[in-house]
Amino acid sequence: MTLKKLEPSPNFQNHAREIPERFKTRASTLFIDRFMTHFIKAGGIGIIAAVFGIFVFIFSQTIPLFKGAEVHEKALYQFEPGNYSVLGVDEWGELPFAAQENGLVRFFDTRENKTALVYDPSSESGKTVSAFRYNFNQQEFVYGTEDGHFFVTAVRYSPDYSTGARRVTVELETGKPLPLGDNRDPVRQIAFAHSGEVQLVAALQEGVQGLRLTALTLTQETSMMGAGELTADQVYDLTGLIRGRPVKILVNMQAYGLVVLNDEGRLFYLTLKGGEFKVRQEWQPFQSSPSPAAASMDYLLGDVSLVLTHADGTNVVHSLFVPPGGSERRFAETKRFQALPAGADLFHASLRNKAFLVASGSFVSLRYATTETTRWESRLDFDPAAAVIGRKYDSLLFLDSASRLHVFSLHDHHPESSWRAFFGKIQYEGYPDKRYEWQSSGSTDDFEAKLSLVPLIVGTLKGTLYAIIFAFPIALLAAIYTSQFAHPRFKLFVKPVMEIMASLPSVVLGFLSALWLAPLLETRVPSLILIVILIPSVSFAFGALWNSLPVQYRVLIKPGYEWIVLTPVLLMTLALGWHLGPVFERMFFVVTDPDAGIKIADFRRWWPEVTGTRFEQRNSLVVGFMMGFAVIPIIFTIAEDSLSNVPKTLVSGSLALGASRWQTALRVVVPTAFPGIFSAVMIGLGRAIGETMIVVMATGNTPIMDLNIFTGMRTLSANIAVELPEAPYLGTLYRTLFFGATVLFMMTFVMNTIAEVIRQRLREKYRTV
Amino acid sequence: MSSMTLKEPRSFFTKDTKSKGEPYVWFTGMGLVLGIFMIVSLLTLIFVKGFEVFWPDRVMLAELREGSPGAAGASRFLAGSIVMRQEKPVRDLTAPHDADTTELQLFVGNKDVYGFAYRFVDSSDILGRTYPQELMRIERLEYGDAMGKAAGLRVKGQAYLPASDPAFRASLERLVHDAEKRWKEIRRIEKSEIGRINRTMEKIRLKKKSLQASGEADVSERAAALDAQSSELQEKYEGLAREAARLRSMQKDSALDYETYTGEKKSLPAGEIVGFYYPNELYLPQRIAFLIGKIISFLTAEPREANTEGGVFPAIFGTFVMTVMMSVAVTPFGVLAAIYLREYAKQGFMVRAVRIAVNNLAGVPSIVFGVFGVGFFVYFVGASIDQLFFKEALPTPTFGTGGVLWASLTLALLTVPVVIVATEEALAAVPRGMREGSLACGASKWETIARIVLPASAPGILTGLILAMARGASEVAPLMLVGVVKLAPSLPIDGEAPFFHFERKFMHLGFHIYDLGFQSPDSEAAKPMVFATTLLLITLVVVLNLGAIFIREKLRKKYATGAF
Repeated sequence: MTLKKLEPSPNFQNHAREIPERFKTRASTLFIDRFMTHFIKAGGIGIIAAVFGIFVFIFSQTIPLFKGAEVHEKALYQFEPGNYSVLGVDEWGELPFAAQENGLVRFFDTRENKTALVYDPSSESGKTVSAFRYNFNQQEFVYGTEDGHFFVTAVRYSPDYSTGARRVTVELETGKPLPLGDNRDPVRQIAFAHSGEVQLVAALQEGVQGLRLTALTLTQETSMMGAGELTADQVYDLTGLIRGRPVKILVNMQAYGLVVLNDEGRLFYLTLKGGEFKVRQEWQPFQSSPSPAAASMDYLLGDVSLVLTHADGTNVVHSLFVPPGGSERRFAETKRFQALPAGADLFHASLRNKAFLVASGSFVSLRYATTETTRWESRLDFDPAAAVIGRKYDSLLFLDSASRLHVFSLHDHHPESSWRAFFGKIQYEGYPDKRYEWQSSGSTDDFEAKLSLVPLIVGTLKGTLYAIIFAFPIALLAAIYTSQFAHPRFKLFVKPVMEIMASLPSVVLGFLSALWLAPLLETRVPSLILIVILIPSVSFAFGALWNSLPVQYRVLIKPGYEWIVLTPVLLMTLALGWHLGPVFERMFFVVTDPDAGIKIADFRRWWPEVTGTRFEQRNSLVVGFMMGFAVIPIIFTIAEDSLSNVPKTLVSGSLALGASRWQTALRVVVPTAFPGIFSAVMIGLGRAIGETMIVVMATGNTPIMDLNIFTGMRTLSANIAVELPEAPYLGTLYRTLFFGATVLFMMTFVMNTIAEVIRQRLREKYRTV
Repeated sequence: MSSMTLKEPRSFFTKDTKSKGEPYVWFTGMGLVLGIFMIVSLLTLIFVKGFEVFWPDRVMLAELREGSPGAAGASRFLAGSIVMRQEKPVRDLTAPHDADTTELQLFVGNKDVYGFAYRFVDSSDILGRTYPQELMRIERLEYGDAMGKAAGLRVKGQAYLPASDPAFRASLERLVHDAEKRWKEIRRIEKSEIGRINRTMEKIRLKKKSLQASGEADVSERAAALDAQSSELQEKYEGLAREAARLRSMQKDSALDYETYTGEKKSLPAGEIVGFYYPNELYLPQRIAFLIGKIISFLTAEPREANTEGGVFPAIFGTFVMTVMMSVAVTPFGVLAAIYLREYAKQGFMVRAVRIAVNNLAGVPSIVFGVFGVGFFVYFVGASIDQLFFKEALPTPTFGTGGVLWASLTLALLTVPVVIVATEEALAAVPRGMREGSLACGASKWETIARIVLPASAPGILTGLILAMARGASEVAPLMLVGVVKLAPSLPIDGEAPFFHFERKFMHLGFHIYDLGFQSPDSEAAKPMVFATTLLLITLVVVLNLGAIFIREKLRKKYATGAF
């Protein structure tokens, strides 16, 4: 090594005499040193910041979940004046239409700012239209005529890309008018739905004795050429089934049910079964109100929920579900929203999700049914005469009384998410009660996403709990023995063995638990119970027995070598317990087969019969056991360290005062090292919470909420591993999974930090002892 | 503590000479016994099960009792090697039951004939057991192994060669060898040559697409040139495809006739045979040689039959490339951060807090890092790279999807705390005297770190790196999100320019285990392969860990004795 002079301080240099050349530090050395100082400082801080940036990034991805809807007025178009009551729009928002009371429809081209097409159903069909309804889902008009006929007009939008840019064109296809039975009374209200080959039309007709309710089933021949001719099947006169004057009728999209609202606010739910209509349910939603009449009634997407409003502004949702003890689905109130200023004048349900738009005067509100939240509300500076939500849930369209079309852009990417959706109890459609549920995707378009993180958190804690119950006693006892009683030479081999155990890949543990342990334990639960009882009692009993022997035998086992003698004893106990298990099962876990009447010794059947809970092959027991492999070494290592670090003076003092080694360990060492043991458990918990592969492989991954040891669970980490690869980028599910990762991170980070702080403090304390 | 040696009046330790609580000491000893037992039995299980996969076990020919539920078809004979022996629990307490309730699980092979490859047979149903010398076990390309008695060999243009002929084995061996050579040739043509043509054609297609998109005026001429190039390649492709088809048809020219012990006569084209042996005739040295041969082919061959047969070479290679890339990324960053924390940062509350936080990062669940990898690397960075450099290939993503680069960067982030902590510890362990000596000799701070501190702490840093590699090699959960696949069509590094294909998806030993054990349609058939892969992965991880422990112990001794 070359000898170099220490760099003299600069202010000293000024006054001092000339330094000889050979003592001067080379400029390049100084430069490199300065450069490296800055480089390392910047780099070090940068790296640490980057690593923590990970969590900032993950967190930032979840922020949009908690934002409300943003709505801005985007454009204004002037329709030809008219008395419009229905507004509709195509998927791309280019060719909206408005329909007049008399059925006349005007399509408006927003690109060219002019009327694109006028459709007059009366002249097309040759009959005078007296009522109509637009089915947004199927994009069909159904018209009722003055002479008791009806016909369906399909609206067919088609995008055309031939010119490079998209052009939307529309075609209308008028169906053949069919009579609604034999009478020729004018139609006042009409509703229509079809599901496959079944079709149902319901109409209110103005007869001599007042309004009559008629229903008509139809069949459509389907052939190679596509949909064929509609033929009337059966006409039903349902007037006798309802009471009062009907004001609104709805047909569900499955085309078997009918909801009728009368002027007293009484609802009748009629269903078609076996060629006959029956009143399944009659109820009055606003019963408690002095004037129970309802102001509006409409279906939500999926047609299993009714959105009802009352003149005093009350806004509720009634959904179909099988009530406890019942056998049929019936309506009952499931949601209650913030009150509107008055009953709803306008209503439109989104075709993408469970959102709906209600307007009462100039007050409009966009609400989300699942979470009972108001996404956006505002008092417009005009009175809307018709309103619609864009088909992609990306715009809101209003038509005011002066026939101006106001187009609002809607930015609400995650309407289904809220604190309540993640952590609150929600009564989902079709469920009889409020519950926590995770079910992120379904097979149909009208599926209601269930995004409660609670079952996942419970699952995480359940797995962790069973892992700790199994791992903690073993790890702690092993740590106490190794640090206090075992001969120090064993430490040299026990610690590396534990390190190897800690390094076992979790995928290996997962695979073993799923394909080896789970099938093995499935039939051997009684053996396991026996082993759990036998092992501790035998070790204790053996210790007691040995110590009651005369001293000349006792000295044969030197202190610190007990575990070597214990090993064969426990191995034999293990084998004994394993083989006695079936005997044990035949003694205690016997059920009588109700069909055959024979007695069967099978724990798998005994458990459900006695406890009423399920028994699964891949269960928490298996997970807990295998996670033990991951958790035991962590708890052991940290606990052993803190037990060993208890100052030797304390131990010597205790022994010198005549305490036995067990008394010293129990009364002096363990209490002193308690914070260390505590932090060991915390870090072990942290590891168990985040464990992914074992849980993914060794459980059925069903998000259930119970603490039954013989069922599986779904943890936050397993949920991410299973669902993230399939989640659409930046969708609600994607962000929700990021939110799950944030929760997971918080849980482990907080736990580890507490543990680490405790450990550091403990270290400080020992230093002073 | 024993008080035997004290010469005290007897009354002093009176009642008994026993110290209090000795049984409890034994009780705590139980914890250690259980812990050691768990790990030892787990490792033993993996080693035994893993080696069993390669071991040429004897095959038993069992004569079954009439009407045994274990029989395959109408035959009373069944040949198979015993996989497992287990006690059947007695469930029905009312019915009388046999004394012998053991059942055997046999590997019977011949899945094409029976529809199953494993069979449970009650031990009490077996009337006689023989081990026929002439029983032949044939490893096939499809349907797993076949077992039976060879009948003869049909070779194109030659006389029928019955199995009794002394030249039978030699000719069959030659046929299998030739078939293997032809397979190699077919693979070479189909994978590398046709693959290269396909990639070139794809490049030409993209070039044409970007040419058309560029909107320049004189594109038609260049487009025509590209078309010509493309059709030339197409011609070449067809020639190669014909050649491959010719070789494939040659694979069926000769066939082996054999008869299963249940009586079915079968004929197997030579091209379908991977290897054959007579398990009941082998002596121990031959068995060991066979075992070694099987292990080598497991390590070097490509997987077959949805990964349940063949080898795991691509998974080994993928794991290796990813781990190396991860180490290259993690070492400089981890060491730099540790040097900053230990040598440059002002030791105070902030640094202590950062240290605790870094320590805790090692305990953050790996899946969280996977989530970050997907959101940041794949969807954000990757998609931006695609927008900038691979626009013509869109919407097919190049970097905007999982790949080996993103996987190794994700794992680098995951393991950076491990390296920081280990490096910090190693830096702290360098005696103060060494630094002061260096500074006193006139070295600058950086020179001291670079020439004295870092070399002295190198083994400690290496330990950290090895632990990081072990963790990286065994981690699966984050990889599932950022680019690991069941079967990668090509390796991340190969002979094709630019040689390193960091955007490619890759295979990984850990994921291989997950996929085989969990997602395989026939998990029973996949089991041997999973155990073999597990053995390999465990060996890798244990060796890496033992290496780290060894280095650390050496280091400890060095500092314990060689202090200044």
